[in-house]
Amino acid sequence: MTKGIQDIIVALSEIVGPAYVTGDDSARFAYTMDASLFGGTDAAVVVRPGTTEEVSRILNFASKKRFPVVTRGGGASIYGQPKGRPGENILIDMTRMNNVLDLNPTSMTVKAQTGIIMGKLQHACKTAGFYIYAPFAPLHIVSLGGWMSGAAGSAGLWRDIIGVTVVLPDGTVVQTGGGPATNHNQKLFYNRNLGGPDLTGLFIGDGGSFGIKTEAVVRITPYPRVLRASIFEFDGLERVLELIERHVGRVDPHPFEPIMVFGPGAMKNFMPEFEVSTAFTVQGMMQGHTEEEIQAKQAVFNRIAEELGGVRTPMLDAMAEAMAASGSEGSDMEMDWLSLFNGLGIAAWLPFTLPREGFLDVYRKLLDWRTERLRDANQRGFKHRATWEFFAPTDASTLIGEIDAFFEPSDDPAVFAYIRDMMADFQDFAHRLGSIDVYNQGIMSNINASFWSDGYAHLFQTIKKALDPQGILNPGLWAGTTRGDKSKCR
Amino acid sequence: MKELNKVRRFIYNCKKCGVCGNKVTAKVPYVCPVRQASPGFEHFYARGKIIIAQGVLEGRFPLSPDLITALYSCTLCGNCTTQCGTTDSDTGEQMVATTKIVEAMRSDVLAEHPEWVPESYRQVLRATQQYDNPWAMPRASREKWYRGLDLIDARREPADIVLFTGCTIPSSPELSERAKKAVMILNRAGIRVGVLGKDEVCCGSVQRKIGDKACADELMRRNIATLNRTGCSKVVTLCAGCYTTLHHEYKAAGTPLSATVCHIVTLLSELLKNKKLTLTRSQHRTIAYHDPCHLGRHAGIFNPPRDILRAIPSITLVERRATREHTICCGAGGGMRLFEGGRLAVAMGEQALAAARQAGAHALVTACPFCETNLAAAAQTSADPLPVFDIVDLVYDALGA
Repeated sequence: MTKGIQDIIVALSEIVGPAYVTGDDSARFAYTMDASLFGGTDAAVVVRPGTTEEVSRILNFASKKRFPVVTRGGGASIYGQPKGRPGENILIDMTRMNNVLDLNPTSMTVKAQTGIIMGKLQHACKTAGFYIYAPFAPLHIVSLGGWMSGAAGSAGLWRDIIGVTVVLPDGTVVQTGGGPATNHNQKLFYNRNLGGPDLTGLFIGDGGSFGIKTEAVVRITPYPRVLRASIFEFDGLERVLELIERHVGRVDPHPFEPIMVFGPGAMKNFMPEFEVSTAFTVQGMMQGHTEEEIQAKQAVFNRIAEELGGVRTPMLDAMAEAMAASGSEGSDMEMDWLSLFNGLGIAAWLPFTLPREGFLDVYRKLLDWRTERLRDANQRGFKHRATWEFFAPTDASTLIGEIDAFFEPSDDPAVFAYIRDMMADFQDFAHRLGSIDVYNQGIMSNINASFWSDGYAHLFQTIKKALDPQGILNPGLWAGTTRGDKSKCR
Repeated sequence: MKELNKVRRFIYNCKKCGVCGNKVTAKVPYVCPVRQASPGFEHFYARGKIIIAQGVLEGRFPLSPDLITALYSCTLCGNCTTQCGTTDSDTGEQMVATTKIVEAMRSDVLAEHPEWVPESYRQVLRATQQYDNPWAMPRASREKWYRGLDLIDARREPADIVLFTGCTIPSSPELSERAKKAVMILNRAGIRVGVLGKDEVCCGSVQRKIGDKACADELMRRNIATLNRTGCSKVVTLCAGCYTTLHHEYKAAGTPLSATVCHIVTLLSELLKNKKLTLTRSQHRTIAYHDPCHLGRHAGIFNPPRDILRAIPSITLVERRATREHTICCGAGGGMRLFEGGRLAVAMGEQALAAARQAGAHALVTACPFCETNLAAAAQTSADPLPVFDIVDLVYDALGA
């Protein structure tokens, strides 16, 4: 360990206590991987702060000394962690900041530290009779901060984030949104926009590059007493899209009334009793606070689905019942959708976000791309074991989804390399067709940035430079400014 | 890295998603007791350890003494594997097993760089070579505790049931009382058990967990030979670690143990069910039961101890938030009491006691001398100590002997 590193450790120890700073080889090495195939962060020092003030002091120190800083939450990104400057980074592991600070049932908000994993946060909310609308957050893996920095922004899922406490790269602490920090006379404001620009939104989907979010106030919704699901099979996608159009025309997908579409054969990966079929499976989920309310909702959904030619079977009905039970008031919230796939082999995650209008044409091109790539993989001797297709509306006009493929054997470095290439190539192809993506970390931020318009890129870089003139926070993130140059992304 | 190579499929099957360190549900307040009690960096829980193992296999992480903290800060409790739950979608086989990975790495490091292994562990291995037990207990101690009791010397006379005492129980006068009580309870049910005296050697659990597979295999071979020679049909253990070792490893050995193996809680529960024992006396107590990892999560024995406790008059059994297969290790597993002076082990014990207090328990009961020792050590450091019992003590008291 060099003297420079020792000096950093001494300085950080004074801030967080010596137990929570390390430069040990094995400790640092454990952060070089994450849930992705693109790797974690090569850090010089890892620090685990416990408070906003400690984060502020760390950033103030790093900013003065111009040390690169990279943040990490649950390590759940499927497109990798920010790399910073390998070997020089101060890596801030946020997961010690994992407390619920306040749950306000009257104003229906929860305030928590951002290193908290969503499962712990949802459990605390559920204990009080509430939940947070985050249906696509892997429950037991992703941190609140990581989710806000990564997936929440682009998917438009997080209008329920009311305000954040964020530490700017020079150590300044800012609170956005409503509440006492933004209105001196009224501490009970829980409204994201208090008449000026949406400063909360600035830090959602930023990949953690504008500042480090340390606390957040999030809207909570009373836990529904009744949960019901209907599942239909459709032979073709046109009718499925029509069902979605009629559904979102009638019901805003928020609060939680999701409709999810699974591709042919997708269900068989998890339920062997399912036959391989060419049908698309559509699941409508309904929540309500009374039996009458839920029956009315379900009757409408079923009628529309049947009008469009959807078919129910006893097996689908049984599955719908099981799905409803898994999310019901009495369930233990065990299920984590990302970890469900762990048993299928090494995943080539192929996610997309597309407008609902014109979706079908692009979606078919994406599927064709995958078919071609799987053929290529098989010719090279890489065995793909399963595929998975899923999409769902996140708002009236947007569909989020994925067309993943799973490979084996899992201990062949050549398979890993092939999948890494496949994922990056897919994003390049999908972005050229108009997809953006919701994973604004690791290589994905650079792929996204490489497709920005010049004006958008200019505005982003101007904000970044104003907030982080030394460029210390997550250096290298959002660097893909040459349009279509995917070499920036590797 | 001979042993690590054997478990490489578990390493590469792991998707590094982090469920093993981060899951929280109504029944899982946290997954890893080491992560909870330590500064909590990634290498303190399963994902980090597996990442290091992968780095070692691929030559990206050079072996160094720095590895020791990651390797030995693990209770091998297996809760990470339970909460991960990843099984092959076709075969249903478990795909990730952190305990096997950590044990393999410990074994390789001990074989290749024994000087890196902390002295406290090496001392245990030396004691085993010298005394056939990890605690440097003279062999004669194995025969002291049962003087005057009504039992059979199974080396000389046939005994249908042999009591495998283990090393920890005869190593202290307090714990020896436990063995005496067990014998007297069984006598009350009309059972005379056999013992092996100083021919019993350590089961090998501790040595295997430290990484000395050869030593553990040799101990296993000797015990199997001794037990098979007696012709007994059943071996009863008082220690949860001995139970798992005999039940799983001895039964799978090249020359396997021929007798069936049961833990004392299973036998007592059967005796109560068959009315061979009746429990009549008790103090009023609200208690929680701590499932030893070896007995619960590793062997699925959850109901017998609870059946026993429910059969004791005046006892109210409460459950902690994490119970049965979700139980969080007491802190003594995996040799943690030998790691850094047992500081982390005691901290984990304090967490277990705090969870019992939170559940409204006035005492914590277990069925393993390792758990009991560590929980009692934690209780001693607590400002609000909670009494810790072994289930045999409660049964003995309730018999009105």
